[in-house]
Amino acid sequence: MSHGRFGRLLLRSTLGILPLLLGVTLISFSLTVHFGPDQTWEMLGRNPTPEQVASVRQQLGYDRPFVVRYADYLVRLGRFDLGYSQASGEPVLALLGRTLPVSVALLAPGFVLGIGLALALALGASWRPGGFIGRLCSATSAVGMSLSLVIVVIALQALFAVWLDWFPVRGWAVDGPASYLRHVAIPTLALIAAQLGYSLRFFHAVVQATLNDAPVRTARALGLPRRRILTRYVLRAALLPILTRIVFAMPLVLISGSLIIESHFGVPGLGRVTWEAINSGDQPVLMAVVSLSAVLFVLALGFADLLGRLVDPRIRPT
Amino acid sequence: MSCARLPGPVVLVFLLLTGCQQQASPEPLKVYRHALDGVPSSLDPAHADDIYAATLVGNLYDTLYRYKYLARPHELTPNLAADFPQVSDDGLTYRIRLREDARFADDPAFPGGHGRAVTAEDVVYSLKRHFLAETRSRGDWLWRGRIVGLDPDTRLDTPDQPVAGLAAEDRSTVRIRLGAPYPQFAHTLAMALSAIVPREAVEHYGREFGVHPVGSGPFRLVHFDESRAVLEPNPHFRRGPIDLDAEGYDAELHHGYALEGVDGKAYPLLDRLEIHFIPEPTGRWTSFISGSGVDFVMVPPELSERVLVGREPPMFSREMRQRYHSRHAVEAGFAFYGFNMANPAIGHNPDPRRAQRNRALRCAMRDAFDWDSRNRSFHHGLGHIFPGAIPPLLPDFDARLSGDSTAHRPERARQRLADADWSPDRLPELVYGMEASVHQRQMFEQFRSWMDAIGYPAGKLSARTFASFGEYARAIGNRRLDIFLLGWTLAYPDAQYSLQLFYGPNAAPGANSFNYANEDFDRLFELAATLPPGPERTRLYRQLNEMVIDDCVLIGSISRTRLYLWKRHVRMLPDTEMGNGEFLRFVDVIEGSAE
Repeated sequence: MSHGRFGRLLLRSTLGILPLLLGVTLISFSLTVHFGPDQTWEMLGRNPTPEQVASVRQQLGYDRPFVVRYADYLVRLGRFDLGYSQASGEPVLALLGRTLPVSVALLAPGFVLGIGLALALALGASWRPGGFIGRLCSATSAVGMSLSLVIVVIALQALFAVWLDWFPVRGWAVDGPASYLRHVAIPTLALIAAQLGYSLRFFHAVVQATLNDAPVRTARALGLPRRRILTRYVLRAALLPILTRIVFAMPLVLISGSLIIESHFGVPGLGRVTWEAINSGDQPVLMAVVSLSAVLFVLALGFADLLGRLVDPRIRPT
Repeated sequence: MSCARLPGPVVLVFLLLTGCQQQASPEPLKVYRHALDGVPSSLDPAHADDIYAATLVGNLYDTLYRYKYLARPHELTPNLAADFPQVSDDGLTYRIRLREDARFADDPAFPGGHGRAVTAEDVVYSLKRHFLAETRSRGDWLWRGRIVGLDPDTRLDTPDQPVAGLAAEDRSTVRIRLGAPYPQFAHTLAMALSAIVPREAVEHYGREFGVHPVGSGPFRLVHFDESRAVLEPNPHFRRGPIDLDAEGYDAELHHGYALEGVDGKAYPLLDRLEIHFIPEPTGRWTSFISGSGVDFVMVPPELSERVLVGREPPMFSREMRQRYHSRHAVEAGFAFYGFNMANPAIGHNPDPRRAQRNRALRCAMRDAFDWDSRNRSFHHGLGHIFPGAIPPLLPDFDARLSGDSTAHRPERARQRLADADWSPDRLPELVYGMEASVHQRQMFEQFRSWMDAIGYPAGKLSARTFASFGEYARAIGNRRLDIFLLGWTLAYPDAQYSLQLFYGPNAAPGANSFNYANEDFDRLFELAATLPPGPERTRLYRQLNEMVIDDCVLIGSISRTRLYLWKRHVRMLPDTEMGNGEFLRFVDVIEGSAE
């Protein structure tokens, strides 16, 4: 694909996500304003007067019309001015800058290893249906999808942190590679266990379907080595759905995965901050996270679309 | 085992994971890891009205007074103040002299980054700051209408605006003039809300002051996030030596905690204090029992079965006593059900006959309530049930007061309803408020079943749920709930703090969530609130307590028992209830004996 064509494709994808982004922010802003917690009473002292209640509401901007608030929010979002956390006073941008890398560092190993392991097992299982790896995959998928993440986390903590005392139970006192590995070990195992079942089942189905494709059948008939068939023909043909799933899973894991993992492991990442913001009704933080997740999803959508067009000539616009 | 002699990247990673790295980054000698069950949202003293923020603020900042480490009932002692205040004969003027050696911790907010001496101007500024709109103070109500010049509607535009009752007489003497005697005033100066802040830092950090604390307390902050705070000694803080006797040490009471080892030492005694925020009960417990976790835990009530062999009084199992230090204490607060007296269907009513019938209805509902069952079902038998609103922790608590108002007497409840001519079809429809949780829903169903047992139709008691405590508080403040469950934590050990819940001028949205309006009560409360501690004031407090019991304004109350465990290598006596976690400055760790 020429540079000019790629540029046009990128521009079209970018422009396409703008209305989507506007819709997503409007819905999430409306939900947060109308159904999110009112922070007024969290911020008042123990014996407030009606005047103080009114004053705090005014300071929080609750007395302004919805349209004005939404327009103001959009303008500030456009300027990357996310305001200050109402609870702590910390700039929201700094807060995201502080917590997002922690979430990525916490979740990336589990995400990457989980995807890699699922893919490897799916390829192995699909090559010889009914074999040992196939049966193992079926059992693993069933168990993985049946187990609650919370149960997995508690079991891993009990085994590795309390009984064996190899890793910290919780927290994020990371000051170097060694402490990072120690803190990330159990969350990584938990994340792998949580996503392996679903990923394995999906990849297995996709790879199995691809194995029946004519080019793969031809390659097998020609007696090409298994490794070459799997990497050159099967993986390449199955790349589109696999990439789409991986790209879409990223924001999901980052936001919702971190919400559970970070709360359980006491890790000061994006999920923990979001949880605190939900509980306290810290609207600027909540809106920033909602906007961020909306943007991430929309970007993932655009990215998946772009990737699809790059790897599969059949869906490129003529 | 030496890491260097073990080949192979896998083995290396394993070693990194399992402890070899400890050789590379040695831990400070004395580290104590404390656990809190919540996260402080801001470290600005003006926002520190909960135990989580107060624990941090109390150790990063100085208050003029603090509570003695070991003396119970709690006793004030000078902290940043050099001595107790000189109070004029009319009880209106307080003259407070500051220590000469107190300095703020080094911070970029100061010229050259060097902390300066704390002065009387800082005290004046710190109090005035509560009345600036941008501070969003949660503590201004403590001094509003009390200090001359800080009237109920006062809003300061700048901290330079003079306030008649607040002045720095010289560099180290503050003069505070009150409009009326306020014997609890010195207690308010021990609260984290009153901690002394430097104006330079507040102006330097602006809205971010809540995450950049700059104080003159025993510690300074080196790390703070949603998971933990790490504090190290403030090199400018020079206090001590610790005088255990002056702190209220009692050899009989405090035997076995090894506290004698800290006597005579300068404090703080730790090289590093870590405060871990662990809201999940099982997370706290798991962290405590693991080798590298926290050193202290307030045992979650749902796990009390694991650590106790008896409940009245609580007795820890032999295993727990052998492995850990242990202690139990009644909380500095209480929980109760309140009626909205502003609703004429159940509360005050201009028709005297209806008002009497409403009282009978409230009393009947109180009789129907089964506190023992509630204690067993939801507090694991660890609650201390008492009548009224003066909890057992306070010196004014009356242990001889009849428990009739907390007794479960459904027959009497039915009789009261019949005598007041209440029949199921005439009973009012009431709204019961609660936060959205399974626990709260179960409490509501239990409540409704007791009312059903005395003939109150279940359909006439409806529940309204709220997503957060803020929403719930708003509904109470707006008088939309007829029955509500609330907790009230004491900020200082004086019954005035709990009885203000019934003071007419404090009606919702103020602390009087009941909207109780009783002129006799208000008159006596105002009289009692100006009296110094003594038998006369205690008599008045108890009389006020009996008035609200007699009027059946509340169903209550219960104070929960806290169970504390801490590791054997830690020398301390924890108190998470009153004060600002000041005991942390006296914590010591026996070197080389950590688990």
